[in-house]
Formats: sequence, C-alpha cells, structure tokens
Amino acid sequence: MIGLVYLVVFGLLGLSLVYLLVSVYSRSVRREKLEKRFDAGDGEGDRDAYIEAGMKAYQHGLRRRLIWLVYIIPIVVVGVTIYLVNY
Amino acid sequence: MWRKVKWGLRIAVLLMVAAFLHYTLPQRDIVLVTGTYNRLTTVGANWLFYATPDVGTAESTTTRDIRFIEAVRPNDKVSVYRNEDTGWIWPPYFKYDSSNLQAEAGNLKSTKAAPQWVAVTHYGWRLPFLSIYPNAVKVKAVAGPDVTLIPWVSIIVLLALAFGLFMLRRMWLQLRERMLDPALDDVNNALDAADARADAARAQARGVWRRLIDWLGTWRSTPRR
Repeated sequence: MIGLVYLVVFGLLGLSLVYLLVSVYSRSVRREKLEKRFDAGDGEGDRDAYIEAGMKAYQHGLRRRLIWLVYIIPIVVVGVTIYLVNY
Repeated sequence: MWRKVKWGLRIAVLLMVAAFLHYTLPQRDIVLVTGTYNRLTTVGANWLFYATPDVGTAESTTTRDIRFIEAVRPNDKVSVYRNEDTGWIWPPYFKYDSSNLQAEAGNLKSTKAAPQWVAVTHYGWRLPFLSIYPNAVKVKAVAGPDVTLIPWVSIIVLLALAFGLFMLRRMWLQLRERMLDPALDDVNNALDAADARADAARAQARGVWRRLIDWLGTWRSTPRR
C-alpha cells in the first residue's frame, strides 16, 4: 500500500511540473501572438496596453482553464487502467 | 569518424528505447491454456524482470511462490507466463488481482481435442536463459485462433508519447526564441562593448608604456663589440 502513497505523491509532483511548464508555454505563445497581431496593425493605441489587455482576457479565458486537463487526463487514465486490468 | 560515433550512439539509444517499449507495452497472444500452478522460485540477478518485493504477491526478495500459466500457441509452440501483481509504480498496469486471474485462467483450461481459445494480455519477454517470463495481465475467451485483435493501448500510448515529444520540442523552441536568444544577445552586446573599451584602454596603455620603455632604453649602454 505504501506504493499507492508514492504513486499519488510523486505523480502529483510530476503533474504539477508539467502544469507549470505548459502554462508558462501557453502564456508565452499568447503574448507572442498579441505582439504579432498588434504589429500587423490590428490594434490601436499603446502597444503595451494592448498586450496587457489581451493577457488579462487570456487569464479569464477557456484556454487557460483547459490546462487543468494536464491533471485530469492522467488521473482518468490511471482509473480506467485500474478498472480494466482488475475488474 | 565522429559522425560514425554519433550515429552509433543515436542508433544505440533508439534500440534501447524500442526494446524498453517492446518490453513494457501490452501484447496479446491467442493460446490454449493447458496448466496453472504455483512454483517456489528463487529470484537472483534477474530480479529486474520480476515484481518488486513491496507488492502483494512478492513476499521476499529471493525466494517466493509465483503463480504460472502454461499455454500452447496455435503453431504448437508453448508459452509460459508468470502471474504477479505489478504494484503501483512500474510498469504502470496497477494489477492487484493475480489470484482472480489465476482462477480465471484455470477456468479456461482446455485441450486440443476440445479447444477453448484464450487471448492472454501480457507484457515482458520469455528468455529461458535468464529464467524470465512475461507477466500475464488479463485472460479472455475468444472465438478462434484467427480473430483479429487491434492493439489499441499500444497505439494510444505511442501516439501520446509522440505528442509529448512534439510538445517538448515546441516548448524548447519557444523558450529559446523568447528568453534565451534575447538574453544571449544582451550578453553579447555587453561583452562587445566591454571588449571595445578594453581594446581602447589597452591601446592607450600600450602607448604610455611603450614611451616609458623607449625612454628607459635611452639610458642603456650600447652593447660592446
């Protein structure tokens, strides 16, 4: 049973690392996209303000919440594996 | 020479990854189950290919009672599977129902005269030289020796691994483009500026120093013949 504890603790640590990496990557991609969109003449006014507004929208958007799938998918996969193998 | 070494290393790594995946991913054999039994088994140098001692069915690191399943393939060659719990860490099958599996396998026993074909899901290799056995994970009755089984699990796992590698590469490239390259540019510019200053200072210092040496030289006596 100690194995289950190890699995939960180290599994969650590993998934948290993945979550961190993916969220940093996703922010970076979004910022780059906003910069390019502004430079293409899409926005008006101040460049920094335009980008900050876009990042704020991202912060409350669906795409950022989808990163929670990093936790959800592996946990579901483990659950399904346990069910299929043992029952 | 170095190219060959590099390619040799790459191929070696690729082979190791392939062997690792081939060992770990599930495979299905269609067999007749002919026997199920327990045998006291001593695990020695081949411990890597047996369950770790902290799972339910492995009571000791050296000698343990292991369940085995004997089977015959359609080509009359035999297969022997061990039936051990995997525990919770590796390989990630999370199997803890070995006793049930052994009972199911016993229930599906049959002979060539009245065959009951069984799909045995397992991972691992049978290497008689090392006394290692594939670990059976699941048994299921099937209609005949020719049914087609699609290896969905392997397909999904390999696709997921490929996707993970692809994303890691994208993330690395993004990091380099947005963070490392601008930082390196800054460092390089700073170094260039520092270099230029140092060169100028050195040139000036050399001028002063050279003049001093020349002046001292005027005091030196000319060498005698």
